[in-house]
Amino acid sequence: MQTNDPSITWVEEPRLGLAGKMYLPLIVQGLTTTARHLVSKKVTVSFPEERPQIGNPLIYRGVHRLNKDEQGRVKCVACFLCATACPAHCIDIIGIESPWPDREKYPESFTIDELRCIFCGMCEEACPVDAIELTSLFDLTGRSREEMIFDKEKLLSVYDQTKDAEPTQTAQLAAEAPALPPSSGGAS
Amino acid sequence: MGTVLVNGVEVEVADDERLNGIQAAARAGVDIPRYCWHPGLSVVASCRMCLVETGTRNAETGAISMMPKLVPACQTPAKAGTVFVTESDAVKKARAMVEEDLLIDHPIDCPICDKAGECYLQDYHFEHGQKERRADIRPFTSRRRDLGPTVTLFVDRCVMCSRCVRFGREVAGTSELLVINRGSDEEIDVLPGFPLENKLSGNVVDLCPVGALGDKDFLYQQRVWFMKRHRQVCTHCATGCSIWTEENQDHVYRVRPRENPHVNQWWMCDIGRYGFHYVHDAARLVGAERRDGNSYKPIEWTEATAELGPKFDEQAKRGRLAAVLSPFLTVEEAFLLARWIRARDVDAMLAVGPVPVEGDDERFKSGFTIRAERCPNRKGIEAIVRHPRGELATWEDVLVEADAGRLAGVWITGGYPKPWVDEAAAGKLADVPLVVVQDLFGSPLWEIATYRLPGTAFAEREGSYVNANHRLQSVDWAVRPPAGARVEGSVYWQLLGMPGLYKSRRVLDDLAATIAYFAPAAEIVPETGVQLDAAAAQVSAAPLLASGS
Amino acid sequence: MQHSMTYIAVEALVKIALLAFIMMTAAAYLVLLERWVAAWVQDRRGPNRVGVPLTKIKLFGLGQPLADGLKFIFKEEFTPKHVDRWLYTLAPLSILAAALASFAVIPMGSSLPPIHIPALGLETDRIELVEAPSLDVGLVYVFALSSMAVYGVILGGWASNNKYSLLGGLRSSAQLIAYEIPLGLGILGVVLASGSLRLETICTDQATSGVWNIVWQPLGFLVFFVAALAESARLPFDLPECEQELIGGYHTEYAGMRLLLYLVAEFLHMVVAAFLIVILYFGGWHLWGLTGSESDPGWGHALARVAVLSLKTLAVIVLVMLVRWSWPRFRFDQLMTLAWKVMLPLGLVNLVLVAVLYEPELGGRMVAEYGAWTRAALGWGVMLAACAVAALTAPLATDNRPRLDWGVR
Repeated sequence: MQTNDPSITWVEEPRLGLAGKMYLPLIVQGLTTTARHLVSKKVTVSFPEERPQIGNPLIYRGVHRLNKDEQGRVKCVACFLCATACPAHCIDIIGIESPWPDREKYPESFTIDELRCIFCGMCEEACPVDAIELTSLFDLTGRSREEMIFDKEKLLSVYDQTKDAEPTQTAQLAAEAPALPPSSGGAS
Repeated sequence: MGTVLVNGVEVEVADDERLNGIQAAARAGVDIPRYCWHPGLSVVASCRMCLVETGTRNAETGAISMMPKLVPACQTPAKAGTVFVTESDAVKKARAMVEEDLLIDHPIDCPICDKAGECYLQDYHFEHGQKERRADIRPFTSRRRDLGPTVTLFVDRCVMCSRCVRFGREVAGTSELLVINRGSDEEIDVLPGFPLENKLSGNVVDLCPVGALGDKDFLYQQRVWFMKRHRQVCTHCATGCSIWTEENQDHVYRVRPRENPHVNQWWMCDIGRYGFHYVHDAARLVGAERRDGNSYKPIEWTEATAELGPKFDEQAKRGRLAAVLSPFLTVEEAFLLARWIRARDVDAMLAVGPVPVEGDDERFKSGFTIRAERCPNRKGIEAIVRHPRGELATWEDVLVEADAGRLAGVWITGGYPKPWVDEAAAGKLADVPLVVVQDLFGSPLWEIATYRLPGTAFAEREGSYVNANHRLQSVDWAVRPPAGARVEGSVYWQLLGMPGLYKSRRVLDDLAATIAYFAPAAEIVPETGVQLDAAAAQVSAAPLLASGS
Repeated sequence: MQHSMTYIAVEALVKIALLAFIMMTAAAYLVLLERWVAAWVQDRRGPNRVGVPLTKIKLFGLGQPLADGLKFIFKEEFTPKHVDRWLYTLAPLSILAAALASFAVIPMGSSLPPIHIPALGLETDRIELVEAPSLDVGLVYVFALSSMAVYGVILGGWASNNKYSLLGGLRSSAQLIAYEIPLGLGILGVVLASGSLRLETICTDQATSGVWNIVWQPLGFLVFFVAALAESARLPFDLPECEQELIGGYHTEYAGMRLLLYLVAEFLHMVVAAFLIVILYFGGWHLWGLTGSESDPGWGHALARVAVLSLKTLAVIVLVMLVRWSWPRFRFDQLMTLAWKVMLPLGLVNLVLVAVLYEPELGGRMVAEYGAWTRAALGWGVMLAACAVAALTAPLATDNRPRLDWGVR
């Protein structure tokens, strides 16, 4: 595209008075702003000593967890939709036939490479059964790359750790609208 | 010659062609949705998805008179003057209605259904279905029914197109599957004691337009959208069915037939379909080795390719060299190895490796044949071995020569999925001073080799095979070989000092120019292959073609 | 008192060693200061973790320069295959050498009284706080060495054999050459006023009269300050390396110690510029009532002068750092326009003004009749007028649309 292309809208610059064109008043103004910030209150959180305040832990995108159903089984049905949605390709699932009569398929192994993950939350969006969710745990550290590849047990343990503070979306919906019969709603 | 009008587009139909509305529309670039119709099966017009408006055009006046009701395109012949309208409001409404009916009782378990992503029901619903589902029934699971050793049925996902039932009756000829009950209770089933276990059973899974029939071998293994498919040829028998090899991240998950009217039409047998697992066998050999006294030392491939030439040159001064060309090699690979060994020793012996044979040819109702000869390329290898002298040496001849002590160096290629050489044969070669073995799995021969070079399986090769009907088909490679193994072609390419990377097409050009038998392959080889020996083709392919649609 | 050659040599070497050490350390701590200022301006806290190694003492992050230096030293000394090895190594060395050599004529105070320590057998003369005392061409020398910096930059860009580096190097050389002229014009006013190229003399003149040059020559200061920023490639004139456009400019291909040399040299340029600004326009070591103005100060005054000069320089450096966070980078055409269409005429105006003011028949008589304040008033008045004229002609257009009527002309 050429710079004189008619489809470009040129924003006219604001008209400056003589003082503005002389630069000097604007220079003083700019320096004043900078100098004011030099001594203003700092916003840095000195992390290990201070803990940052997380606004709403329910929508924060931190470490993943794998939710469990009422019987304590992993909720995941190994549909791979999270792995499909994942832009970082960090989810690796091996699905097998489930041992339970009410379920067809479940993950034999479910690993997330937390180092590769970009915490975009697409997996949570994609999940048809609300099995994978992002928690508000953010201080995620490890001493090796292997350690940062979370397996199913680890992800389920994150659920146990966070389930009280952060109820699952299914639980939230149930709490918000208890009157709705279970069969209604949902897409075809 | 007649003219058919599809949505106002004129399509030419030859007089001897018998097309239906779907096929005629395809020529105009119009895709008519359908579940029950398949070009390889009889027409039942039961799914009603292909309903279109039709009529005739008066050849003289040009006036078009339409029929008052919608008709199924699959059983409406496209003759001269036939008119099809596939995008009218009435047609769209009919399609949406069919979709709605099918989905009333269809479990919405797409996330765990293996068909999701290549499912007609999904695709047509997005394309032709209604925006919202009016029925308030939401089953989430499907009953499962075992049909046989290879196939499982998800009863509630079925749309009753009866393709699988017709396949059993018309192609396989074994008729295991049938429809039980009536009306909305219709289900696919088998009779007690007669499970679905013919050798073409896997095809019903491909035929199923929805996720009702599941392949037990592939079930839950991989989502279809992750896989990339590669054009290949089945190497399990001399029929050489065209296949798609579907892989993800260098792992083959399934093999499916690729339509080829000259070879396999739409089908393939279970031997080929489920026979690919050896590609990922943990027992596969990796890492080149050199004999050092009684033990073996690992060597780098570069080192091996650098010293094999001089070693064979040295042996050529002491005696005759020989190369055994396995019928699992592509013709390009065999040609390169032959050329290399003849460059070391002009008089080198070329022989065809052992040709595995199991039982007799098996022929099915449609003419589809599983050959007893369980290798893909005997015809091609024989043509190379015969060149230029016309004599054909076999594996036994090599053993005899070796036993007599007349061979100074032998290069043996394997690549057989099953054990192929016994102690006795290996014993006869034990005294040959230089034996190079390229193979997939360990064998008595591997134990006596001077150089052990791990070879590759069909999914890793590129090149061409010549099937029993003298049809040459070229394939792409699908996965990379395991670390430590190298594709045969690239090894020979490097041994011959050719520049750049191994490119099978360049070798095929050479081959076509060198050996008259391969001359038809000088042009671009189409996806369906090229016929090398036209006379042979007419005789053996005739019945197969005649049974088609 | 006559001294042997040995004494002179030893004195010079001691001064050089001390100065090099102080300047390298200062550069390291200026990096820390730069990071602090950057953080504070952005409402952050800045580096505050590294203190005494192996202990938990943090000392507000004063150990950071040490950690930074160690990091650079332990980084892989990587030389890309495609570079011209000789020039690639020579370029950062030459730029650092030029930067360090500039300090030779810069007075760090006035002078120290003689030191007598009989125990060590040490007896010195009065010590001039400058490496090369009484160098009559001091300013010309600084000017010459600052031109040498162009070599370091363009050689680095050329040796890297990378188009971004070369572009950065070319831009840089164009910029440095363009701004040498306003820089020189800025200096010329001061030189004309004091009649000497020696920095000590310029300093002493201001101390003796008690009036700093900024009072007489605000326009000269403006021109010199802007040119000095551009010469040391500080924002808003950091086009040679602008990361966003040139991924680092001439030092794209540099890493480890060689990159460190470039970065240190860049800081030293800024320090030199700050020293020159202080010495030329802000009275050097002079501060009313604190430093006196005698030519042979005692210990008290001598140390006060060193302290005053250092603090003034530090203040200018902090100002330069604040400028960095106050304005965005110029576009290249604006940069060139500013040099040739604004700074050059302003510098000339200043030169003429100074010449007129110090001309005995015109300026001399005016001062004699109406008092010295007229000179200052005229200086400021002319500056405002010149700026206004520059503003009205508006050469610094932000609109860079292609002029469609150009074809017609």
